[in-house]
Amino acid sequence: MIARIANVSAISETIKRIVLEAADGSALPAGAPGAHIMLNIPGPRRVWKNAYSLVAFGSAYEIIVRRVQNSRGGSAWLHDHAAIGETIEISMPVNLFPMARTAQKHLLLSAGIGITPFLAYVPALRAHEKKFEWHHCCKLADAPAFAALLPPGREAILHTQRKTLDLPALLKRQKLNTHLYVCGPAKFMDTAVEAAQKLGWPGAKIHTESFGGATGGAPFRVKLAKSNIALDVGPEESLLEAMENAGLNPPCLCRGGACGECELPVLEGIPDHHDHFLSDSQHKTGASMMTCVSRAKTPELVLDF
Amino acid sequence: MIKSRPIYDNFRIDPAGRAHLLVTDLSRLPVDVLPEFSDVETWVVHVVAPGIQAQDVATKAFRAVADLLASLGARLAREPVGLRLYAVGTEPFLWDVNNVARAAGLGGGEIFLKHAGSLKRRVYCSHCKTMNEDVTKNIVKCRGCGANLFVRDHFSRRLAAYMGVAVDAEVPGEIPQVEVMYP
Repeated sequence: MIARIANVSAISETIKRIVLEAADGSALPAGAPGAHIMLNIPGPRRVWKNAYSLVAFGSAYEIIVRRVQNSRGGSAWLHDHAAIGETIEISMPVNLFPMARTAQKHLLLSAGIGITPFLAYVPALRAHEKKFEWHHCCKLADAPAFAALLPPGREAILHTQRKTLDLPALLKRQKLNTHLYVCGPAKFMDTAVEAAQKLGWPGAKIHTESFGGATGGAPFRVKLAKSNIALDVGPEESLLEAMENAGLNPPCLCRGGACGECELPVLEGIPDHHDHFLSDSQHKTGASMMTCVSRAKTPELVLDF
Repeated sequence: MIKSRPIYDNFRIDPAGRAHLLVTDLSRLPVDVLPEFSDVETWVVHVVAPGIQAQDVATKAFRAVADLLASLGARLAREPVGLRLYAVGTEPFLWDVNNVARAAGLGGGEIFLKHAGSLKRRVYCSHCKTMNEDVTKNIVKCRGCGANLFVRDHFSRRLAAYMGVAVDAEVPGEIPQVEVMYP
């Protein structure tokens, strides 16, 4: 689907809001709170596929893009080149982070650019008169930008120091009818999820969403058994991107290790898992891996693809 | 077998829980449950009859199932997240507990059920919507409309009841042999 950039505005030096409309003026497919779209971002040598949460949807899609330090290409291009009138290829919205409709209260925890899916939650929560409590964490320098994005009201609280948010106490005082949602950097999510699990939160009430887990790492070689080709995965690219660059069309959806779509069986070698989809015991067996975020512990992997 | 008939398995203490509560409509816990749950807060229904006492492990004994269910609803409304609820007993009780728990916000992974005691069924009359309690036979005369209901293996979790359908709808009065099926 081709979209036209209808507006670009700076929220801070490193955060931009981008509004997208269908290039042919037709109505966009329906979005939903928690849904994301994938942008095919043109780069000098290749196309970057990045996923962004919809912060608003309806007649236009709104996304918020943070310029990632040492960006591998996508967010830098959006910051430097995205201009009103430009066209860009986008995917249909996919929702891997929907709200639990049966919950009576929603506890939202976010950090940094993980704020975005919850910006779409709030209007829906208000419309359905659902109780919610939102704690957003960010660096002091980013506080003005995020304070401007957070909805007015007592429900949303901004934290710029670790000590103002007592996670165990917050998680412990929630009633049985509360669901927990966590979005942010991997370390933040792990801390929050672990704290919740320790207090007996069941898995079905913990909802997580992470993007941009593919941070690169040591290069490795991968052999694709069915395709009968070998690839080198560079330090700046993910296994999934290396496969796409080689002209292959492997499965993928969230590109953040959350959805499980890109799972491929591992025939030889030991994968270095970075996903949130497989269980700990599945990680230990190493029988399969998520190509979007996971890498290799051995110099070479052989995959069944 | 119709797939809606519940299967009960994997009844164990979930070590991930912060707190545990066991409820039963029996006056004592089945011996296969007792050892594992001996340290768990336990609610029983005390049958008032000579010589029958609530088990020693009971933290709380109720005079009737309805009292237990009402107290359970009040308890769950106050309870912080992390509780695991276990129910042991007859099928109508298990699913009444399940419905109280669901209404309080518990979901899969927080409720564990184990059938014990009588196989008696609660039967929902699909003609007049009357609930017929303590049904042990394959055919029951509906106490609402008087229809002779065949007790199907068709279970509704929402109603916590099996479906009953008039057995002689085609030829009135032609009723198969009545047998005790759910003692």
